[in-house]
Amino acid sequence: MAETTWTTDKGELLKPRSNRMKFVVGGVLIAAAIIFLVVNAMTGNTQLYKTVGEFYAEQSRLAGRDLRVSGWVIGDSIQFTQIDATTSRLEFDIVDDLQNPGQRLHIVAMNEPMPDLLQHEAQAMVEGRSGESGVFHANQGGLFLKCPTRYEEAAQPASS
Amino acid sequence: MIANLGFAAILIAFAAVIYAAVASLYGAKRGDPRWVESARNAMASTLPLILLACMLIVYLLLTNDFSVEYVWRVTSTEMPAYLKVTALWGGQAGSLLFWNLLLAGFTTAAMLRKWDDQRALMPYAILVGSITQIFFLGLVAFVENPFTPSAVIPPEGQGLNPLLRHPGMIIHPPMLYLGFTGFTIPYTFAMAALIKGRLDDGWIRTTRRWTLVAWLFLSLGLILGGRWAYDVLGWGGYWAWDPVENASFMPWLAGTAFLHSVMIQEKRNMFKVWNIVLVVLTYLLVVYGTFIVRSGVISSVHSFAQSAVGPLFFGFLGIMIVFSVYWLLRRHDQLATANHLQSFLSREAAFLLNNFVFMGVLFATFWGTNYPIISELFTGEKLTVGPPFYNKVNGPLFAALLLLMGVAPLTMWYRSSARRIGMALRWPALAALLLSVALFALGVDSWGALFGFWIVTFSLILTILEFSKGVRARMKRGESPWAAFSNLIGRDRRRYGGYWIHLGVLVMAFGIIGSYFFQQETQIRLQSGESAALGDFEMFFNGVRQFPGPDDLLIKEADLSVFDNGRPVGRVTPRTEFYTRTGQPMTIPGVRSTVGEDFYVIMVNWESATADAATFRIFLNPLINWVWAGGFIFILGTLIAAWPDPVDKKVTAATRARRPAAQPA
Repeated sequence: MAETTWTTDKGELLKPRSNRMKFVVGGVLIAAAIIFLVVNAMTGNTQLYKTVGEFYAEQSRLAGRDLRVSGWVIGDSIQFTQIDATTSRLEFDIVDDLQNPGQRLHIVAMNEPMPDLLQHEAQAMVEGRSGESGVFHANQGGLFLKCPTRYEEAAQPASS
Repeated sequence: MIANLGFAAILIAFAAVIYAAVASLYGAKRGDPRWVESARNAMASTLPLILLACMLIVYLLLTNDFSVEYVWRVTSTEMPAYLKVTALWGGQAGSLLFWNLLLAGFTTAAMLRKWDDQRALMPYAILVGSITQIFFLGLVAFVENPFTPSAVIPPEGQGLNPLLRHPGMIIHPPMLYLGFTGFTIPYTFAMAALIKGRLDDGWIRTTRRWTLVAWLFLSLGLILGGRWAYDVLGWGGYWAWDPVENASFMPWLAGTAFLHSVMIQEKRNMFKVWNIVLVVLTYLLVVYGTFIVRSGVISSVHSFAQSAVGPLFFGFLGIMIVFSVYWLLRRHDQLATANHLQSFLSREAAFLLNNFVFMGVLFATFWGTNYPIISELFTGEKLTVGPPFYNKVNGPLFAALLLLMGVAPLTMWYRSSARRIGMALRWPALAALLLSVALFALGVDSWGALFGFWIVTFSLILTILEFSKGVRARMKRGESPWAAFSNLIGRDRRRYGGYWIHLGVLVMAFGIIGSYFFQQETQIRLQSGESAALGDFEMFFNGVRQFPGPDDLLIKEADLSVFDNGRPVGRVTPRTEFYTRTGQPMTIPGVRSTVGEDFYVIMVNWESATADAATFRIFLNPLINWVWAGGFIFILGTLIAAWPDPVDKKVTAATRARRPAAQPA
């Protein structure tokens, strides 16, 4: 092979210790660069993650902050309104517990297509910020509905 | 009756695999090969038993036996037969059983094929392999039993989740599972080598091809998953850094690092500890990934008790971490190596750097995925990071990997001359720069994209040069260009298969950069006869028609005529399929697909009652098809590298090696 012609046995005799130091320093530098990248990417890109109950409990502190709220969708509340040619509004309510729905959080998403999974009892995660009382404005592209690969099997048979 | 038979098969398999663990350990302690053979046979017997259980559940699915809970959860009477078969992996319990089948298949095949090569490792390999199988069989036997009878027998089943009825989704899970379960083989042999204290590269030679095969399936699973998301989820993208996606990406990262670093051990007998660490890490990430997907622990702010399997997976993961780390520490001294790195400009240093960067991507992805848990632990508040985090941190790291992909093959083992490498890089760097300048002149003004295109073109030229150098050398010996090319790849499939994979990644990278930096989208309501434009495209809305489809489907299909720069290029028909029984809608995009871009339209809303008007969301995805084309090249390269050597070829090679001695010229 061509590459073996470049190998040299003299190489083995070179001072291994100073070499080792060189590679340790190199490794530390790379690790530092990776940590810098992670820290740098974190700044301004983290969101608080709240349930509906937690959201209401800390509402004043959370006002205007970018956050992610999660809850279960109430099917009857889903509404899609086409306002004009380029504006649409999607609204629905989420709660912490479907069996025992306490406070509802009203989600409003502008110009957002209706996700296929948005239906009664679906779990929704919404990124956005709170507006006037009880309304939560979703960011563009900020609606996430639970993906079917998570094997949720909460539904009951139709006849029971 | 059939359900009981299936459950019995699972129980017997469970007992057999426990026996295999005990007998292999006993046989190893006593040095009695009869016990080890008996353990192997017990291990091998699980495969037909689990296969029987799978066949029985498929039979129940095909015959709509709703007295079994799993059957009504994932099927309905109207579902076509092929979907009923695939419903085997359409729910938690069935997919776990299917997982067991693949695991048993891999383990049995590895034990039987490698029996004579690695006899000394076998007792421990059986032991480690059976531990994994005990856990997964235990789950289906006692926690998620697919044969559990229904409490109430419903007249009709729920049917498979419509989102899972896509061809991509039918093959995507088996591919991922094959990848995941396949990685237990290198882990099994690495741990067996550790326990036995046989720390030469025997375990690596034994498992090399298995690792490549597992990696092939995992890669295929990831690519198909992306394609499914693009075709079905209707948000115009293919990767969202979702915890579930990350769960399968993380083992892939560790496995890819391993496939590279293993070459340093083979050539220079270095990094033995590191290679075992990578194999162990890949395996643990497989278990961890399965845990994330199945327990819903990350995606949900709610408690972890949503699924009973969560805590069990967590416990199993903990046990395997302790088990692996214990043996690594215990054998650490024996893994020391006398060789050292000598130069930054060497092949081994390049591989090491590659490993560092892969670990960087892995760390960042792990950190981001688990940030809700980490932040809650330390600050008491749950925080998440989204795609911007991943793009910002992994973007530069991917760029570094792409650069290495081009440069590293130019380095030599031990050390290389900086001048020689510099000379080899000059012209490709300049040529790539010319492309970037040309793109800038054409109006591409994103520096990130220009830099990305520069790196990708640079590495692409270097990779193509690797092929052309080899081909030219062979042509000088009188081979025809095609023969030279195929012989070049055929004689060193691992190396050139690897470069072929690099080509695939680079082509994908073009597509990823194009669609990431230049995607355009808009949303508009159109009345029949009206039109909308995006980029060079314009579409005219001709109306919506509604008609019943197969099963219980109701289809609403929009008809749109598309024009590219005023020239008619055909129709697209975005549609909504509505599963009337379950009330589940499904939005299928209409796509006009070319090499340069996809014009991708989804119908958001149709106002049938009022006017003949509909709302559309339109995406322009530049270079997206390069992602799929690159994926295809990538998989082809992996096949080239992993394809087994034909037996007669091995013989010819051996004869050829002997011939000069026998017949001196």
